[in-house]
Amino acid sequence: MKRILPFIIIAVVLGAGLFTVAYLQRAASETPRTPSPAPSASPVASIPSQGEAGAEPAHALGNAQAPVTLEEFGDFECPPCGLLHPILKSLAGEMGPANLRIIFREFPLVPTHAHALAAAHAAEAAGLQGKFWEMHDMLYEHQKDWHEAFDVRPIFEGYAKNIGLDVAQFQRDNTSEIVERRIFLDGKRGHSLGVTGTPTVFMNGKEVPFESLAPDKLKALINNELAAHP
Amino acid sequence: MLYGIAALVSLVGLADSIYLTVEHLTGQSVRCTITSGCSEVLSSPYATVRGYPLAALGAIAYFVFFSLATLAAFGYRSTSKLLTPLVAAMFLTTLWLFYLQAFVIQHFCQFCLLSALVTTTLTALVIFARRTKQ
Repeated sequence: MKRILPFIIIAVVLGAGLFTVAYLQRAASETPRTPSPAPSASPVASIPSQGEAGAEPAHALGNAQAPVTLEEFGDFECPPCGLLHPILKSLAGEMGPANLRIIFREFPLVPTHAHALAAAHAAEAAGLQGKFWEMHDMLYEHQKDWHEAFDVRPIFEGYAKNIGLDVAQFQRDNTSEIVERRIFLDGKRGHSLGVTGTPTVFMNGKEVPFESLAPDKLKALINNELAAHP
Repeated sequence: MLYGIAALVSLVGLADSIYLTVEHLTGQSVRCTITSGCSEVLSSPYATVRGYPLAALGAIAYFVFFSLATLAAFGYRSTSKLLTPLVAAMFLTTLWLFYLQAFVIQHFCQFCLLSALVTTTLTALVIFARRTKQ
């Protein structure tokens, strides 16, 4: 008996380990992320109709008629959002504006990130001068440069200058009500869709699981969706 | 006796790495959230090896260690020899990961530190077990 006892113990631990993995994974996937089940049959090709509207007009790249719309709820200070940025950028280039539309929604995680709100303000202020995406790229691509800075204002003003904004106007817009309202409305839309973290991406109104945001998986999902909406 | 203790300690490492693997696979802690912040460590490119979560490799290593240590504790002498290279590899990996957290990512993750503590304890136990036998 003593000879086989260790093997029994090992088998029990292996079984318990596998069971735990299966149980935790199932528990995580059953956690409701969206309050209402997304309609599966309706061919949604524009901004999903469920939830609050969000800021209008939304910041969007690509054609409004594109069959696939990705709506990202992002926080410029969040490292995984920074990692997602080049993935989305290269997909947008690869798929083309006729096939893929990308919408960005402000979802600054306050107080987790000290400068996320300031970054959202900067992006929206740039948007008022028609350069939202330029500032968006700047913020994500230089995330490490400002993430740990004490005062981000001069850094963001430097970015504003770099992308050719009227800096004085940018400074005024930064604290304007319209900028604040846009961030508030995007946040409201996020909350109404059950967004609790960033990045959260919806593809034609359905949430893309975080693990599917890897480049190959996301590309496959988009291709599937394109095939479904010829 | 020492191998029995090592087997029990490795269970802590196994549970820790299983937890990290599931977190990684379901994206719970990898993304940033309102309540818990985000893990710079788990969302870094160093958290995966060829697309596989590093934590899963840790779980396999802890399970192999547990199996060998259990067998050694029950008198299978030959397995104790295999523990030395295994624990050496685990300890070197831990040192590398600690370096990455301290100097490259510049953030520590508490569950990763628990794993580092477990591996260090296991290394000490294996060295001690070999010494006392000699």
